[in-house]
Amino acid sequence: MGKEKNSSVSRRNFLKIAGLAGAGAQAGAFVAAGVAAGKDSESYTGWESFNPGTQFFNRKPFEFDGPAHAPVGEVRRPSHITDYVFGRVRTFQMAYQVNPEWTLEDPIEDLGLIPELVEFYKRFPERLEWDFRTFNETVPANREDQEKYGNFFKLAEIYSSGFTSHGMHLPSPESPPEESDFTVSMRGRSHQLDDPAPFKSPELATEFFKELAHRYGATLVGVTRTNPAWLYSEGWRGCPDDYDFSSMPEHWEFAIVIGVPMEWDVILSSPQFSTSYDAYDRVSTAAVRLEGALKFAGYAARAHTPMTGYDLIVPPHAVEAGLGEVGRTGFCITPELGGNCRMAVVTTNLPMVPDRPIHFGVAEFCAKCKLCAESCPSGAMSMADSPDGMVIRGYEHWFINNGACYNYWRESMGPMGCRMCVATCPYSRKDNWIHDVAREVDPRDPTGVVSSSLLWMQKNLFPYPEAEEYRRPPTGRFASFREPPFYLEAERYLDLEIVKPRRE
Amino acid sequence: MFNGSLFWFAMGVLFVFVAWAFKTFADDRGWRLNWWKGLLALLWYAILSLSLYAWGTLAGEGEAGAGFKLFLIGLFVCIVFGAGLVRLLIHRPKTQAEPSPQ
Repeated sequence: MGKEKNSSVSRRNFLKIAGLAGAGAQAGAFVAAGVAAGKDSESYTGWESFNPGTQFFNRKPFEFDGPAHAPVGEVRRPSHITDYVFGRVRTFQMAYQVNPEWTLEDPIEDLGLIPELVEFYKRFPERLEWDFRTFNETVPANREDQEKYGNFFKLAEIYSSGFTSHGMHLPSPESPPEESDFTVSMRGRSHQLDDPAPFKSPELATEFFKELAHRYGATLVGVTRTNPAWLYSEGWRGCPDDYDFSSMPEHWEFAIVIGVPMEWDVILSSPQFSTSYDAYDRVSTAAVRLEGALKFAGYAARAHTPMTGYDLIVPPHAVEAGLGEVGRTGFCITPELGGNCRMAVVTTNLPMVPDRPIHFGVAEFCAKCKLCAESCPSGAMSMADSPDGMVIRGYEHWFINNGACYNYWRESMGPMGCRMCVATCPYSRKDNWIHDVAREVDPRDPTGVVSSSLLWMQKNLFPYPEAEEYRRPPTGRFASFREPPFYLEAERYLDLEIVKPRRE
Repeated sequence: MFNGSLFWFAMGVLFVFVAWAFKTFADDRGWRLNWWKGLLALLWYAILSLSLYAWGTLAGEGEAGAGFKLFLIGLFVCIVFGAGLVRLLIHRPKTQAEPSPQ
């Protein structure tokens, strides 16, 4: 009997010890499983294997009757000449090269700029200073930096150039919308559209082309009506100078908006190692494919993309199409990709059912977050608690000094640009369970406690270099938000003299 | 290996084993482990497991430092919650003598 009892106790002790060992094994396995989840290729939204699964956020509970944009003042259409920073700086620089004696103290009229630009600079004098500084100080300084540190960022430029060189070959309209949008071009031959394919209903037509858009490479797809107030006031592609830009072509009635993310590890190594061109190329390619499909179905279409050019501004259309909400950064923050989303539009006359805009808490979150503005190397972003009173072209939204922003583009190393506001945005996170919990819970919390807690964690658990560190030496060190992925490390691959920038 | 269905099946089997061992441990200590106390113990284990999983996930996406800090927060919650849980488990309600009929 006694022997039996001892054996029984021993079995119980063994069970307890084995259970403790099992708990230890589970602890290790949970960490290992977590690492696997964090590295999982399926968490790279938009870069994984099957695109239609990428628009995974259920927007239905957050939809509302639009429009999401209500004018608060006189609406002015955007201009390539003034609002579009590249065109503006180029025009200014060309005028300056003719009058190199001109200084900021001299009247702007002396430069012989077109009246619209003179008026713009008088309204926004800080842009005048920033634009002047860009080509007069920053670009020459950057040439020196490229000589000294360029090799350190060389692989990032090589990575980017593959996308750029492909995207440059995408076709751009060469005649006015009334002609090019109704013409199919293939192998050097052009012909008019066939009769429109009769879809059973606009709902089914919408469904069909959304499915195609995903398969052409779009991570996100939405449909809205094109807003004439968001067309550029001049300079549409393929149009002569005397073209009538005052009204929207009727066949631009619908806008299919698509979005694609920049590569996730690369974007986190902003500003120096990241590039916009991976997403520019992919979203442009998808849009051009979609344009082709619409035309072959017999409907007029025109792609407005980063690589082939735009005749309209995309972010407000994306917001109206329910892809996301406008944030402090000025671009469309989406639930799946956050700000890491490059977009394109295909305008068409195919009758479709527009999507409804969504509200999932971005406006409230942006009001208290400010991480993008704090990290902005050029200080271009507003630090205000609210966009109240910031009216741009008749609409109220956060103010961004695109002159200061562009100035840093030309200061940074690697592929041109910055993208810090994309990288630092807490919404720009991959598709793993930990971020998905935040995605799903925060928009459903009306108290704001969840967003405040998440923001506290974001600011206290995650490292954020000082904005100054992204600047050029001696004040900065050309820092990156996160280390670049291994395949962009020049020291690993290149047999070159490589100088790593340091703070002096 | 660590995210397939077989892995999670094995984790489930292991968890049953751990729960069985805990029940044996509680019985041997004379703890009265009713359903809601068992549920609280399960919740404690879930928080600890989730903290470890979160640490690993953030480490996997290149934010090991943030993951470790998040784990420490989870560990702190576990310690506080665990101390209360142990007091609850070892607590024995005093048995009162039945009043005399007269």
